[in-house]
Amino acid sequence: MERIKVSFTLNGKPCEVMTKPYSRLLDMLRDDLRLTGTKEGCGVGECGACTVILDGKAVTACLVPAPSVEGRNVVTIEGVGKEGKLDPIQEAVLKEHALQCGFCTPGFIMSAKALLDENPFATKEEIRRAISGNLCRCTGYEQLTTAIYEAAEELRKLNKTKI
Amino acid sequence: MITYEYRRAESLEDAASVLEKYGDTARIVAGGTDIMVQIHEKDKRWENLKCLLDMTYLENELRYISEDSENVYIGPLSTHTDLENSEIIKKYLPFLGEASSTVGSPQIRNRGTIGGSIGNAFPASDPLPALVAADAVVVLYGLCGKRSILLKDLYEGKGKLALRRGEFIREFIVPKFPEGTVTGFSKLGRRKALAISRLNCAAALTFGEKGEITRARICPGCIFIVPDRVEKAEKLLIGEKPSEKLFYEAGRAVSDVMIERTGVRWSTEYKKPAVEEIVFRALAAAAGMEV
Ligand SMILES: Cc1cc2nc3c(=O)[nH]c(=O)nc-3n(C[C@H](O)[C@H](O)[C@@H](O)COP(=O)(O)OP(=O)(O)OC[C@H]3O[C@@H](n4cnc5c(N)ncnc54)[C@H](O)[C@@H]3O)c2cc1C
Ligand code: FES
Ligand code: FES
Repeated sequence: MERIKVSFTLNGKPCEVMTKPYSRLLDMLRDDLRLTGTKEGCGVGECGACTVILDGKAVTACLVPAPSVEGRNVVTIEGVGKEGKLDPIQEAVLKEHALQCGFCTPGFIMSAKALLDENPFATKEEIRRAISGNLCRCTGYEQLTTAIYEAAEELRKLNKTKI
Repeated sequence: MITYEYRRAESLEDAASVLEKYGDTARIVAGGTDIMVQIHEKDKRWENLKCLLDMTYLENELRYISEDSENVYIGPLSTHTDLENSEIIKKYLPFLGEASSTVGSPQIRNRGTIGGSIGNAFPASDPLPALVAADAVVVLYGLCGKRSILLKDLYEGKGKLALRRGEFIREFIVPKFPEGTVTGFSKLGRRKALAISRLNCAAALTFGEKGEITRARICPGCIFIVPDRVEKAEKLLIGEKPSEKLFYEAGRAVSDVMIERTGVRWSTEYKKPAVEEIVFRALAAAAGMEV
């Protein structure tokens, strides 16, 4: 089947890919672009390992047809953190030992980032709800909740010093 | 693996003509949270899929929630997140917003649409009972023009909608409830858990000046082959004041009707008390009763 062109913004930069018409966003990221930070767990929307941010919202890349991101804005785990430095969410996950095998971690971080971008004052309850579509088979969810909560505090401090 | 061509709908007419041309071998994708799962699982229904028709670039035409003095208008591309956050929905159809807020996970609510919830023709859809309880009308768009039917009449049987070739869902029109109406939604069980534990119910109650119920709407989800209000249970409530006893009676009326319509099955013994409870909870939530 003939490949089709998809042009979109990926991690802040313009990106053009030739992909199969029946590719999912997940296949396009992993196979065509070799961005393998986005993981495939279940392939049916239930585990959240493939979570990316599409036009500001957390979505599961296994359920998005690749050509459906034409002209849109996609952020993956590779786009989190700047100039070789980890994002405060990533720092906090390390500090709180909120991972073991790490397979679920990129997905959790993307869900957390979508939340904190929209609401820097998120409560623990709001954090729990925001990561309710992400499954972890190794670590507890409490460490992740705490880590994200701490990252929110850190981000608020950073933003204050910026202003 | 199921493979297919991809088409982006350029306009409403374009969408209708693609559907008309391809018939059963084209299928709409909106949020993809049903169809992409089914394709991935090689669902037999899509073995002959030739074309996936992407509607998501028609946001200007199909993604909105608006109102006039009589109705609330909902575009099919509105996501569950849109519904959950809409002030119009909170004010006029709070049980629909609640139902949407319980769908899947944040990722699913950010993509999944109300049009897809109905277009999927699955009786266990969470937004469905609230729409049916509110006597929603669905507007269908095809090359021959538009037509409107009651949403409950869109369901023709198991997994089948009364859509003609080339037609798609253009809008939902939901009449506003009378002054003094309160609503409730309840849900039991998880997706993909045993089907018998997937139940939900939407209820709306209108109160008179003396606190008596003057109008009632009860729509249980998942228990009939096609969605429907249960008038026998609604009538029981008229003229009465809310009480636990009354609401359980309504629950029993719903389970009676379920058995009348679907017969006694292996699951009835488990399902009957669950149905009664779920109806009770929707009514109690509407009436603001502590349970
Ligand atoms: C992990 C997970 C959890 C879920 N949890 C729940 C839950 O708790 N409750 C619940 O109710 N649902 C749940 N769902 C199901 C799903 O999210 C909903 O049914 C709904 O959001 C689908 O909308 P969509 O836009 O993604 O549909 P799509 O997959 O894009 O479409 C669904 C079907 O509707 C058709 N369609 C779409 N738009 C139109 C239109 N305008 N006209 C005609 N046909 C149309 C499509 O052709 C397709 O057959 C879940 C799904 C997943 C993957
Ligand atoms: S791989 Fe997408 S949700 Fe599991
Ligand atoms: S750390 Fe292993 S699945 Fe979460």
